[in-house]
Amino acid sequence: MRSIWAVAVNTVKQALRLKIAAVFIVLLILLLPVMGFKMTGDGTLKGRMQAFISYSLSLTGLLLALLTIFTAAYTLTKDIKDKQIYTVITKPIRRFQYILGKLFGVILLDAGLLSLFAIIIYSITSLMPVFMHADAEQIAQLHNEFFTARASVKPQQPDISQELDEAYNKLKKQGEVPAGVDENPAARHNYRKELARRIGLRRRAAVVGEELVMEFKDVKVKEPNQALFIRYKYDVAVNPADLSIYSRWVAGDVRQFNLAAPLDTPLYSTDRKDLIRTFREFAIPADSVARDGYFALAFQNVPLNNTVVMFPLEDGIELLYKADTFTLNFIRVVFIIFVRLVFLAALAIFAGSFLSFPVAILLCLAVFTMANMSGYIGESYNVVGGQPNSLYSYILKPFIMLLPAFDQLTAAEYLVPGRLLSWPVFAWHGFAVLFLKSLPLAIMSLLVFSFREIAKVIV
Amino acid sequence: MEYAIKTFSLTKIFSDWWGRNRVIAVDDLSLNVRPNEVFGFLGPNGSGKTTTLKMLLGLLHPTKGKAVVLDGDAADPEINRRIGFLPEESYLYKYLTARETLDFYGQLFKLPSKVRKMRIEALLEMVGLKAVANRTIGTFSKGMARRIGLAQALINDPELLILDEPTTGLDPIGTRQIKDLIIELAKRGKTILLCSHLLADVEDVCDKIAILYGGKIQAEGDVQSLLRHCDKTEIVTDTISPDALEKIKRTLAEENAKYTIDAPLDKLETFFINVVAKAQQQAVATSGAESKTHISDFLSAKTDDMTTRETILNRLVSDPETNEILTSNIQTSQPQKNHAAPDESLLKHLTEQSDVKTAAVKPDDAKPAPVEKSQPGKNILDELTGNPTTDKASNSGDSSNA
Repeated sequence: MRSIWAVAVNTVKQALRLKIAAVFIVLLILLLPVMGFKMTGDGTLKGRMQAFISYSLSLTGLLLALLTIFTAAYTLTKDIKDKQIYTVITKPIRRFQYILGKLFGVILLDAGLLSLFAIIIYSITSLMPVFMHADAEQIAQLHNEFFTARASVKPQQPDISQELDEAYNKLKKQGEVPAGVDENPAARHNYRKELARRIGLRRRAAVVGEELVMEFKDVKVKEPNQALFIRYKYDVAVNPADLSIYSRWVAGDVRQFNLAAPLDTPLYSTDRKDLIRTFREFAIPADSVARDGYFALAFQNVPLNNTVVMFPLEDGIELLYKADTFTLNFIRVVFIIFVRLVFLAALAIFAGSFLSFPVAILLCLAVFTMANMSGYIGESYNVVGGQPNSLYSYILKPFIMLLPAFDQLTAAEYLVPGRLLSWPVFAWHGFAVLFLKSLPLAIMSLLVFSFREIAKVIV
Repeated sequence: MEYAIKTFSLTKIFSDWWGRNRVIAVDDLSLNVRPNEVFGFLGPNGSGKTTTLKMLLGLLHPTKGKAVVLDGDAADPEINRRIGFLPEESYLYKYLTARETLDFYGQLFKLPSKVRKMRIEALLEMVGLKAVANRTIGTFSKGMARRIGLAQALINDPELLILDEPTTGLDPIGTRQIKDLIIELAKRGKTILLCSHLLADVEDVCDKIAILYGGKIQAEGDVQSLLRHCDKTEIVTDTISPDALEKIKRTLAEENAKYTIDAPLDKLETFFINVVAKAQQQAVATSGAESKTHISDFLSAKTDDMTTRETILNRLVSDPETNEILTSNIQTSQPQKNHAAPDESLLKHLTEQSDVKTAAVKPDDAKPAPVEKSQPGKNILDELTGNPTTDKASNSGDSSNA
């Protein structure tokens, strides 16, 4: 263990003294405070802070990812190229200990730098309301919508299987199903999937004057006197002149309308005007949730709008309620960044164990880019290809599955809306990246490095 | 242990990208180095010396054959715990200071902190880099880097020291110090494999040599027996009177011996060292390495009882916690501690040259061959004139200016 530690500490010294890390550190130390005071977001204090925390964590993650790749690939390939490894590997240290030492060194460096920058970002974020002279209303809003970690519940998806079958059969009878789709199971699956999406979207649309009811179950509010937050985004068939939608919302246990009894839980109503295709929020007292965790939202598309209003299936509407603190949520998000850096360190050490520095860097950057675009690549094949082909199914898809999806679980996804990154999600992601993606790479590096010749034949 | 290093038909063939054999770097090499031997491994550039060392140390895999080092595989940590290696260039981390460098390598040997610190200071003192111990290696001259490279090779008090071109880049003083150090280490029971193409260095310190060419051993044997001219005699004396000189010439003429009489020249190395030593006495400042001649006490000493020595070394390696105590034991049992001479004694030794033909030869080998024939109580000239048993002769002319 002492040998591993000695190599690890030496790796940290190498990164710091050869000024590889210095470039990134100076850049971040200069940029973070500037971002804190220059970013405006949507003009509000909350928007400003959302923009800062999103961009600062993204920038830190990106720069540390690049630093990790460069440091890890450099430290190993440089030792081999400049032959310092001759004096190390001929000492009583096994090759796997040397590789582990290098890996731990890079991880140690990442842990130190990420902690430093996380503290800086957290401090700036916490102090921004003070520096911006926020009033009581703004502070209350920040407390409810930003400095919080809110659990998210999405509306119940109605069972559409019967409607889907009917719609498919009808299209088939009318000869509107494209040729070859019905015979090919994979193509039929994709066609029905798209049809289901359209039906689902139709269930999330309200024509002019219509009322759309969205039901939520298992809403576990800890304190009835806290607030629930309805977060939503409109899409429309035809853009209104002022790009805004007028609406009336009723929230609570709407099942009580059907009972001739006094209301057990209160119902709340609000009238709103909001921009289209922009996330909006309003608060409802949490005592509107029924004892069994049921909650419903009735949205009325008022005639003034003169267009169909839809809530996108993925993120059109959700119910948020406080479930944890901002600090713990922030720590979890930072740790997610850290496990990704661990993966990149393992990847670059693996590449450096058998490739030269430039080739190792190229490989790592290619993998890093693909990990950042894994969702996009998958979607593009589905959209462009129409039918899954063998290149995607048997080569690209398994390869992408081996990579961690860096485009999921981002800081913007959780800290910007004050959404909870739950412990189970966090633990699974950490486990998957560390043990299912990084560990095999580390083991492969150990194997490759243990059996390769360290020196070149020079005659 | 019969051999410290033994190779069995060691072969290394360099293949190209397609796996086709391109160059035979080492060809069927069988090398035997006994314990406590200073073995010179000679050869021109590209003869396969360094490739052989790399195979011995596990940095390259042999294409064929096997190398056994200290009765095991050099890649085994338990074996390379007992080996010190100085590569052909001091491949060290340029961003570390000299002290940090030794500390790093000491940690790899899992030396306890106290022992490590003690050894680091002793080695820095020994290689003359104590004054620049906190400077990074990147700012060192090649010679200084070589010195710290040697120090790292000694941090574990190795049983076997493998030195690849140890004097490359060193000034004459440094070269001389390294040679003296090798001799001193050999006296302390170390086995040394010295790989070099600087023949004078090897000649001065090695007991046995092997000359490599084309990956094969072309000649191997004891240095003295390989180099000695059995058909020549050399006599070195103090200054003698012109009468005595004439007497010698007449004697040699009677023997029909070819002879040359001359005042011996100082070796340039000796002259250079004298000049620098005088400058040191005058305390002229230098930013480079200082000249040191003593050997660090922690480097275990040779004793008559080899079993005891091995036991101490083994315990030193296997029980680092007790290292400090053991080291002090070693110090008290050193029979040749007086060899750690200070600068003054070196200076005296160098300035009193007239009775030593070659300054840097091993002390044991310093006697010229004819002297061995002298009898106690007899004047050497008397012996020469009264017992004319020496060489075939034909007078080649008198170039005397004595």
